[in-house]
Amino acid sequence: MSGRRHSAIAGLAAWADAVRHDKRAAAGAWIIGFFILLAVFGPLIVNDPNELVGMPLQPPSAEHLLGTTGQGQDVLAQLVVGTRSSLLIGFSVGLTVVFVGALIGVTAGYLGGRVDAVLSLLFNVFLVIPGLPLAIVIAAYLPAGPLTIGFVLVIAGWAWNARVLRAQTLAHRNRDFVSAAIVAGESNWRIVTAEILPNMTSLLVSQVIGGTVYAIGAQVGLEFLGLGDVSAVTWGTNLYWAQNDSALLTGAWWTFAPTGLCVALVGFGLTMLNSGFDEITNPRLRLQRAWRAYLIKRGERPGRSTPVVAAGEDHA
Amino acid sequence: MRYLLKRIGFYLLAAWVALTLNFFLPRLMPGDPATALFARFKGTLGPEALEALRETFGLTDAPLIIQYFTYLGHVLQGDLGISVAYYPSPVLDVISSGLVWTILLAGTAVIVSFIIGSLLGVAAAWWRFGRIDTIMPPLSALLGAFPYFWLAMVALYIFGFQLGWFPLGHAYGDGVTPGFNFAFIADVVRHAFLPVGTVVIATIGGWLLTMRNTMVSVLGMDYVNLARAKGLSPTRVALRYAARNALLPSVTGFGMSLGFVLGGSLLTEIVFSYPGQGYLLVQAVRSQDYALMQGIFLIITFAVLGANFLVDLVQLWLDPRIREATS
Amino acid sequence: MRARLGQAALPVMLAALLVALATVSLTGCGQEREPLPEGVLVVSQEQQASWIRNFNPLTTASSVRWPTLAGIYEPLYVFNSVKSEFVPWLAVGYEWREHNRVLRMTTRDGVRWSDGQPFSARDVVFTFELMREHAALDRRGAWDFLEDVRLINDNTVEFRFERVFVLGFGEIAAQLIVPEHVWADIEDPVAHPNENPVATGPFTEVRLFRNQVFELGKNPYYWQEGRPAFDAIRMPALPSNDRANLALVFDEIDWAGNFVPAIDRVFVDRAPESHAYWFPLTGSTIFLYTNTVREPFDDIRVRKALSLAIDRELMIDVAVFRYSRPADPTALSDGFASWRDSTAIAANDWVGFDLERANALLDEAGYARGEDGFRVDAEGERLTFEVLTVSGWSDWVRAAQVISRGYAEIGIDASVRTYDFGAWFQRVQEGDFDMTLGWSYEGPTPYTFYYWLMASETVEPVGEIAPGNWHRHGSARADSILTAFEGEADPDGQKHLAALLQRTFVAEAPAIPLYPNPSWAEFNIGRFEGFPTAENPYADPSPNKFDRGECLLVLTNLVPRSRAADEASAGE
Repeated sequence: MSGRRHSAIAGLAAWADAVRHDKRAAAGAWIIGFFILLAVFGPLIVNDPNELVGMPLQPPSAEHLLGTTGQGQDVLAQLVVGTRSSLLIGFSVGLTVVFVGALIGVTAGYLGGRVDAVLSLLFNVFLVIPGLPLAIVIAAYLPAGPLTIGFVLVIAGWAWNARVLRAQTLAHRNRDFVSAAIVAGESNWRIVTAEILPNMTSLLVSQVIGGTVYAIGAQVGLEFLGLGDVSAVTWGTNLYWAQNDSALLTGAWWTFAPTGLCVALVGFGLTMLNSGFDEITNPRLRLQRAWRAYLIKRGERPGRSTPVVAAGEDHA
Repeated sequence: MRYLLKRIGFYLLAAWVALTLNFFLPRLMPGDPATALFARFKGTLGPEALEALRETFGLTDAPLIIQYFTYLGHVLQGDLGISVAYYPSPVLDVISSGLVWTILLAGTAVIVSFIIGSLLGVAAAWWRFGRIDTIMPPLSALLGAFPYFWLAMVALYIFGFQLGWFPLGHAYGDGVTPGFNFAFIADVVRHAFLPVGTVVIATIGGWLLTMRNTMVSVLGMDYVNLARAKGLSPTRVALRYAARNALLPSVTGFGMSLGFVLGGSLLTEIVFSYPGQGYLLVQAVRSQDYALMQGIFLIITFAVLGANFLVDLVQLWLDPRIREATS
Repeated sequence: MRARLGQAALPVMLAALLVALATVSLTGCGQEREPLPEGVLVVSQEQQASWIRNFNPLTTASSVRWPTLAGIYEPLYVFNSVKSEFVPWLAVGYEWREHNRVLRMTTRDGVRWSDGQPFSARDVVFTFELMREHAALDRRGAWDFLEDVRLINDNTVEFRFERVFVLGFGEIAAQLIVPEHVWADIEDPVAHPNENPVATGPFTEVRLFRNQVFELGKNPYYWQEGRPAFDAIRMPALPSNDRANLALVFDEIDWAGNFVPAIDRVFVDRAPESHAYWFPLTGSTIFLYTNTVREPFDDIRVRKALSLAIDRELMIDVAVFRYSRPADPTALSDGFASWRDSTAIAANDWVGFDLERANALLDEAGYARGEDGFRVDAEGERLTFEVLTVSGWSDWVRAAQVISRGYAEIGIDASVRTYDFGAWFQRVQEGDFDMTLGWSYEGPTPYTFYYWLMASETVEPVGEIAPGNWHRHGSARADSILTAFEGEADPDGQKHLAALLQRTFVAEAPAIPLYPNPSWAEFNIGRFEGFPTAENPYADPSPNKFDRGECLLVLTNLVPRSRAADEASAGE
């Protein structure tokens, strides 16, 4: 029991460590923190984003900091309120794809044999079926709304996580502590939840982050096509309306530029968080960093020389 | 050979899964697409004509399993049904006119992005902690975080609309006659420049990072050091010795990313009104033309499967281990 | 040192490659934008991602290419909606007989099909017989009132009516005629794509058909001497309104019927000497329909109050870029200007903006304000409604927002709800709504307009599909006037009956008129002259007005600038 908690905590601690020690991870954390605050408190500050506040397509001014949309709504209010639903759907889908991926990937990796063969085949097939067209086709049959968007994104996105987690599970299954647990006669369920999953905590977090990046991007794309609930205020529908209200033709860059920048910033922040974390936890990259720091300290230019590291299981 | 057969089997299986999904989706989903379909024709077609239509669209009352095999049979004969929005044109006719453009756009974008990204990745690893290595990865991560279609909108706005350097859409000028001549090809390049460019910018980061990371590992290996020690030129060591082996993970990812890039390029097509499948798909969805929508999905899937198979062939050529294991 | 150089070289090489590619693509054609060819009219009307070849003028089930209905096939009479008159086309005269039960039409002599065969009254009879045989081809429902169609001689057709229905003339007149010698052999005329049309119109020869563009050349046998004055029409496939507008702004289009936002700034100011538009208010009238079978909309005082709470001037500003004007009390668009009745307008007490009166009417109707300022019904329930519009139709969405804002002022909680077109139309037709925006139906006379607003026979029960009269208002008073209208062939008599309909509309307030829709039309007058304008309003200027052949008036009247200049210099 304590082992499970310990490894889970260790996994999370590695993250905290990354944010503390890696510049990139720290920058990512700041960006994401800002957007989370914006999502939580922003809608309380700005006005009703659907309200008609003035003439349509007004450029940014003191009154409307980011101008008005083609419907005469305040772009800033729409952007802020959109943050909440976009991040909510993004993180929920990120969590769900990892959950589904873990369910299938870990089952396949742990049980092995025929189950593994069938499940692996399944996610490999889903990996080669193009995701966005599949999502569009399914979404077309369902009522438009956040649930539909979330559902189709999970369908189109779980396979990658399953594949990675299966590989990781395979690696863990042959470790001593798992073998010990099997010998001790512990149930499969317990071994998976108490021994294997906690040891993958940091990977799972990294996958959730990756899944969220995917979900936000794909969600914005689907909503841009008008497959979301177009009367809701989200980043994707903001872009849909910008396009719909001839943003290009009328030169109303303020109706689409801020939203796109926010989507990119969130995606960038999450990616930085992930890669900074990778830099900290990946033994090879970590060793290289140390080596480089050492060289710089000694006043030498770090060149192309790379310390040789024994091949580990870092890229499963 | 066994390896190839196995892969072919896998793709056939994937195609079958896509077909089956395609068959069951409309039948499993809430609501009745058939009703929506006939609502369009109400008042314009007599009951007999409607009945005939039902049959053309495969909406009979036959047991599901029979319908399923009828459907498979039709698809195998290249019959994807009839488009409602373009009635009476068969879906295949509607799709076929634009397929080549979608493949051209997505294919070019993937290949260009792969080449540039991998080269930059090799450079970043070779001059580790150098300028390329410090600037490019975060920059490409930032660019990669922008939605493709958003970059497309911005590019269209700046380079097409404001500066007027590039055309605003279509695959070639309306006045140009398609053919194998310089004017036409140049025109196609001109029209494809912005759409391909935006997809390349958005996807280059992935290749760069993968290549950089594997390259870093490979560069630390003994045989590379040996090659260096032998005094071979750095370019030769970097490209012939290190990069060729570091390429493997990227090539594996290449197949996987095809579907992904294709999805994104469909959105880009829409922004540039490129005459591929992108807008057609959206139009099919909006007009509830389910047959057309599913036909497009199927064709896109088949195209991606085919491309993946090609990637397998390349991999076979690159990786002697697979060759040896199977010969 | 070598390493440093190399590191700098790679980006430079990539940049060079990029520049080289860009140069190829920029200079490949010698110039940035190729000019449009002389004598080819580029039209943007349908919004399609790619063209499918279908020129079947009769089928309703399919999407046929615009020229099929606008310039390939021709009707018996063209209806000029600006002048409100029928222009003889394939027919040159008509006569009512047997107490308006029989209509005889005389067809034009000397007309040839585009394959050289002569056109005659036989083709007219054949077309109508084909429509009788295949109901799906009868897009105007002519056989709803026709009993028989007979050939009297080679240039006379007789239409026998089932009942007296003088207005049926408009539907017969608008029927596009197909050649018997071609269509007699077609097995399934409903599904026939008619890829190579044989027709009487000005443009019949498919010169080019690709998925992103097609071109139609002149009919070699066109019956109007010296017309059309240009060689071809070209249709580029433009998938969206936005994309079509971009093409328009960049001189890639000569004639379009798009909604263009802020058109003076976006379009005209870019090239004032060649970019022009004319938006006459001859489109359908946009209404706010209330579901009159539901409480409280069954109360005329409530409907009037709802109308008085709408600031139509603000709506014109915000929703339609000042392209229109507030609806007048008759709700008729400018296409019916000559039919307007001053007595009806004087009697108006509900089409306008007067919050005070709106509040008074609601108080009188018994909907008092609750503590929160919102009005409640008899059960104490707050009046909460949804105003439906179609998602993506941003003018409607904005108009609905103005409405919702006005209703908050009179204590009614009305939220805007957008639906996808299909879902919206389903709800509206089935009567599943409180309030919705909607369009009106127009015919050659105000009859059609008021028929779909007030005729009892158009009222369907809630849950059944109603093609019009979605607000479900039936008026006995209107019914008798409409019946009289159907049998009235005399223009003055028609005008009197139309006045009575207008007065009935003002008295009963069945639906709330908002503004007449403009007919969208943008032109490149630098390349072609002869488009209808406010100064020369010889026809409706929009390519969207193809339904009764009006585009033919424009197509046969346009002259390329270059040729016009030649003729002018030759005349000197």
